[in-house]
Amino acid sequence: MRNIWIVIKHEIKVTIGKPSFWLTTFLLPAVIIALSAGSQLLAHSSLAEGGANPFSANSGSSNNKADIGYVDEAGLIKQIPDRIEFGGAGSSVFVVSPDRLRKFSDRASAQAALEAGELQQYYVVAADFLKSGNLTLVDRNFSLFTSLDSSGFFEYIINYNLAGNENLAKMLSNPIKSTTTKQLAPKPARDPKDALTTIVPLAALLIFYLVLTMTSQFMLQSVTKEKENRTAEVLLLSLRPRDLMLGKVVGLGFVALLQVAIWAAVGLTGLNTSGANYILPDGFLVWGVLYFVLGYLLYGSVFAALGALAPNTREGSQFTFIALLPLMLPLFLSNAFAQSPNDALPVVLSLFPLTSPTSMITRLSATSVPIEQLLIGLVLLAATTYLFVLLSARFFRADTLLSGDSLSFRRLIREFRQKAA
Amino acid sequence: MTPTVTISHVAKSFGQVHAVEDVSFEVYAGEIFGLLGPNGAGKTTTIRMMLDIFKPERGEVSVLGGAIDEAKKNRIGYLPEERGLYKDLKLEATLIFLATLKGVSETTARKKAVDWLKRLDLYDHRQKKIQELSKGMQQKAQVIATLLHDPDLIVVDEPFAGLDPVNTRLIEDIIREQQQAGKTIVMSTHQMYQVEALCGRIALINKGRTVLYGEVDQIKHNFAGNAIVVKGQGDFTNVPGVLETRHTNGDWHMALAAGANPQDVFKALAAREGLKIERFEIAEPSLDDIFISVVQGNPEALNA
Repeated sequence: MRNIWIVIKHEIKVTIGKPSFWLTTFLLPAVIIALSAGSQLLAHSSLAEGGANPFSANSGSSNNKADIGYVDEAGLIKQIPDRIEFGGAGSSVFVVSPDRLRKFSDRASAQAALEAGELQQYYVVAADFLKSGNLTLVDRNFSLFTSLDSSGFFEYIINYNLAGNENLAKMLSNPIKSTTTKQLAPKPARDPKDALTTIVPLAALLIFYLVLTMTSQFMLQSVTKEKENRTAEVLLLSLRPRDLMLGKVVGLGFVALLQVAIWAAVGLTGLNTSGANYILPDGFLVWGVLYFVLGYLLYGSVFAALGALAPNTREGSQFTFIALLPLMLPLFLSNAFAQSPNDALPVVLSLFPLTSPTSMITRLSATSVPIEQLLIGLVLLAATTYLFVLLSARFFRADTLLSGDSLSFRRLIREFRQKAA
Repeated sequence: MTPTVTISHVAKSFGQVHAVEDVSFEVYAGEIFGLLGPNGAGKTTTIRMMLDIFKPERGEVSVLGGAIDEAKKNRIGYLPEERGLYKDLKLEATLIFLATLKGVSETTARKKAVDWLKRLDLYDHRQKKIQELSKGMQQKAQVIATLLHDPDLIVVDEPFAGLDPVNTRLIEDIIREQQQAGKTIVMSTHQMYQVEALCGRIALINKGRTVLYGEVDQIKHNFAGNAIVVKGQGDFTNVPGVLETRHTNGDWHMALAAGANPQDVFKALAAREGLKIERFEIAEPSLDDIFISVVQGNPEALNA
């Protein structure tokens, strides 16, 4: 027991003594925040400068200059409505004065006006529009962050002329004004329009995923380095292989918890100081810790076994992608987890033990998960973790730790069959 | 006297490879025992079985009075053939970590580490990472890691690897010092002159089997050629019972006839007028010769 504790202390000391640990702990979130803030700033500055969208705040209804042209080759537009109102249903509503529209008889004259700087953009309604539905927009500017015709401006004018009625035109442009959703889950899902509905679950998922993968990598390195340095041979004369594994798993577990605590503290502080009204469900912390610890034990033991079998870190790393694939699945489906956390796929993934450590915590941060699902997921995860730890301990033996044999799929399968038998 | 180490007919295979088939020897308290053999003979596997790192498939191992347990492991110091230290950790921290795993308190380990580091001229390098040290320094660091917890049984596999003559002498002195302190030492090496200089008894392993075992002097005597070497003044030719006489580097090498007794030759020389005998000895092969002869499967060649 004394030696296990010494190994635990050693692993903690060595891992947090690495500059790479602190770099990833602080630099990675900083880079993510900087990238996110940077893109927001760029978009903001682009819009602030007027951007390319002629319907942005700066060039809104107060602008009465006829700077939007159109060429009606189909002869469809008989009348311009007195009030051009478009947008809505999740986006802003714009009102544009009809004085801003200027009709051109042909494309050449519209193009000449555009080139002369009289127009910002012009539309061309193709002669076969009723058959093809083709509309061409020619714009002076290009913007990375704003759509040139995101707001359905000209669509409204066409609808108005086709329907001959302002109300019907509005209905055609935006048929559903509001949707009332009734969730069967105990608490209603969050407002899908709220950016935090997507951001918070994604952040929780990223924190769990990154810490689990990084700590698993630390485990792999720790074991393979002892093999490469031949330190394993000296250590095995002081403690049993399973004690060595236990010391490593627990030691790196503390490191992982420290990292989660730092990231979670940064995230929660950010959430609180931003004044956002986003309240995490009751017991989030307790469930989070339970799922994280079991998830870490599961993947940590898998990587300990991988390290015991691989002759060096490089060969061991070749198998990390496959080993971590189940944890990545929720990452690929993060939108589904955030927007529809109680759909069949997120529920199944949050109960399946290999995916539940990240999936359940993502669901839990997105919605209120029924207690029975939390318990079933936890029991399944605990049982699987127990089996994996036992199995991994079988790989953690003197003959594997002192072996220099190359690690291949064939050997992995052979060893697995032998040890699992 | 009860042996400190008893290896009795042990065997160990890895898959289809029979690393050790039948190895037996005993090591007694306070002796330096040489474990010899060519590369791949099974020495390291035998050592690992002796240290309970591997379990033998057959045979028995007894160390420090019985089967190895966790408490006994703390009484053993092991210097593996390939250096077993964390390359990216600092020297002093590594030594303390390994010593604490052997039951030594951190305070004692720190104090002892300082003493050893000073003695082996590594004190100024104690805060360096091990990978920053030279090969010789790393080997000395490994020696400290082996001895820091003051073990009763010391197992050293190629302890002189990478050392210059000065440091080789230093480690030789340390090994002798440990022996004088009553420690039991098992030394595996390819350097035969070190074995002749340090070991009282040896076991030679070849192809997983003990092929030679006993006291170094006795083995050499057993392998002694049918020849004598004499140093002196006068005419040493035409001596009865001597087939051939060669005068090389001031020594007379005499090949004896079959059935001739060196004692009779000595008497004949002593009786001869005008001869002054300064040295008379039965020619013995070196351990190097014995090693090569045994490993090449022709031990009788040295007796010819």
